[in-house]
Amino acid sequence: MNRLFWFPVIVLFFFTAGVLAALFFRLSPAEIIAALGSEETLFALRLSLITSVVSTLLSLILGVPTGYMLARTQFPGKTILDTFLDIPLVITPLIAGVGLLFLFGQGMLGEPLGQWGIHILFTPWGAFLAQTFVACPIVMRSSQAAFERTGPRYEWAAATLGFRPWKVFFRISLPLARQGILAGTILGWTRAMGEFGATLMVAGAIRFKTETLPTAIYLNISSGELGTALSCAWVLMATGFFLLLSLRLIRQAPRPEMFPSR
Amino acid sequence: MADIILQDVRNRIIKGISMEIRDGELLVLVGPSGAGKTTLLNVIAGLFPYEGRIAVDGQCVNGYPPCNRPIGYLFQDLLLFPHMSVAKNIHTGLERLVLKKHERDERIDQMMALFHLTSLADRLPDQLSGGEKQRVALARALIAFPKILLLDEPFSSLDFRTSRYLRLQLKRIQSQLRLTMLAVTHNLEEARDLGDRIGVLTEGRLEQIGSVREIILEGGPFEGGFLEKANMIPCTWKESLGNGLVRVQWAGGHLFVPEDGGEAFERVAIHPRHVYISPYSPPGPRVNRFQGRITEIRHVGGMACVDVEVGDQEIYAQMTTEQAEALSLSFGDPVYGILKLRELHGC
Repeated sequence: MNRLFWFPVIVLFFFTAGVLAALFFRLSPAEIIAALGSEETLFALRLSLITSVVSTLLSLILGVPTGYMLARTQFPGKTILDTFLDIPLVITPLIAGVGLLFLFGQGMLGEPLGQWGIHILFTPWGAFLAQTFVACPIVMRSSQAAFERTGPRYEWAAATLGFRPWKVFFRISLPLARQGILAGTILGWTRAMGEFGATLMVAGAIRFKTETLPTAIYLNISSGELGTALSCAWVLMATGFFLLLSLRLIRQAPRPEMFPSR
Repeated sequence: MADIILQDVRNRIIKGISMEIRDGELLVLVGPSGAGKTTLLNVIAGLFPYEGRIAVDGQCVNGYPPCNRPIGYLFQDLLLFPHMSVAKNIHTGLERLVLKKHERDERIDQMMALFHLTSLADRLPDQLSGGEKQRVALARALIAFPKILLLDEPFSSLDFRTSRYLRLQLKRIQSQLRLTMLAVTHNLEEARDLGDRIGVLTEGRLEQIGSVREIILEGGPFEGGFLEKANMIPCTWKESLGNGLVRVQWAGGHLFVPEDGGEAFERVAIHPRHVYISPYSPPGPRVNRFQGRITEIRHVGGMACVDVEVGDQEIYAQMTTEQAEALSLSFGDPVYGILKLRELHGC
């Protein structure tokens, strides 16, 4: 390997390290630790965890069966539907937020939901919806790729042994695709934790009400309270780092040989 | 066990097949790649759509999903579930039956003992050898005693010894339990070892069907299609050498043939792919050699079929087109040949 290839590696490393160091050394460790224990940081952490976990679970419930369906069936207009479902991945979160704002606002779904006592906009529900909107396609795509990789033949074998379709799905298809689904879940969760643009539009930035970690960073930077902003940033980065690390470990884990040679 | 009747079964690949697999028999369909062998099995199992009628034990199963057909299936790539141990894989074969737990465990233990798998119960499929995987797949397919078992190229990718051993074991179990089976293969020898009857499938059509003797040994129905160029060499019995070989005389000289059952025979069968030819005299012992002249070379789907005149006989050899080009074979050339001893069968 040519040594010149190390040059961009070193540049990238110092670029990332420089950004992290700038964040870390801005305040003294004592100030960071004090801010970490502040009520606002803990509220933001708790809200972020709750909304991101619930939105990731909903993404699993919606994304895994959709991924399975797209991996296994052919129907007219599949390419268009396939592309359509990717739209949340390519539009900016801000636009997604505006769309959600209109959809759940007055004049559309806001009124009927309000009659049932359900208020989405500018509540934690808004954050949950925004996070689901961005996490769902990630879970769906990972699941679809995992189901496509295993192919339908194991399911045929199970069917000829007498397994009914639901049992085939839960006993054979899901376990065989589990690594891909798990990887998608972690990526979706990371994305939901860091979601900001759409959340800002739908849930607003209200202290101690819709204040997720990214919202807390935004609010505290705006008001010059660097301690809370940086401690929230550090919590977010640490969570993201450990989630991505676990993703790497999952991908490196030995998986059963799918189509072994005899 | 039961019989199975196909009436004018057709789809995109299968061109109207009608046949009966009788109660307790093992019918083997032979045919080249692309003949529709696997498609036909998938159709019978209910995995692929079709027109026509399929009846098992007198009951029409059209419209039944695979899980409701009383049909077991041994796939060519076995499809052992990679996330389950050997015992759990075999356990999945009991899905159709309503049994108490101790009855299930008992049945699994019996099958594992029958297929010599007891010591492998906790292993995952990718920790097994090819032959062991094959036995697990067979145990899984047979544990619920399906009315009919479909086998897709069951032993084709195993080594010769394992394949032969498993063939004999399967045949023994099939005869003992009087199981009804339909196997497909491109291997004529496998068909001969396994089949009570043999059918010939080409381009989605059932060309011939008959007893093993009618199809392979008597040579009569070798008209057209896949089996057209199988070598059936007339010979004269000379002597048994007492070491598992017999010596016979044919147009090319002496020939040593494995002694199979000890009966005298008048013909020797060998598949063209086990006949090796070259323009140069090959090194090594001069056993089962011949010399002849090329009378025809045909190229079919990446394979070269070469006819060689040996005395008043014709011998057919088969190789890839690349091999034929590398050897620069052409019409009228003198060639040397070897008949692979292990693949010769007296009949």
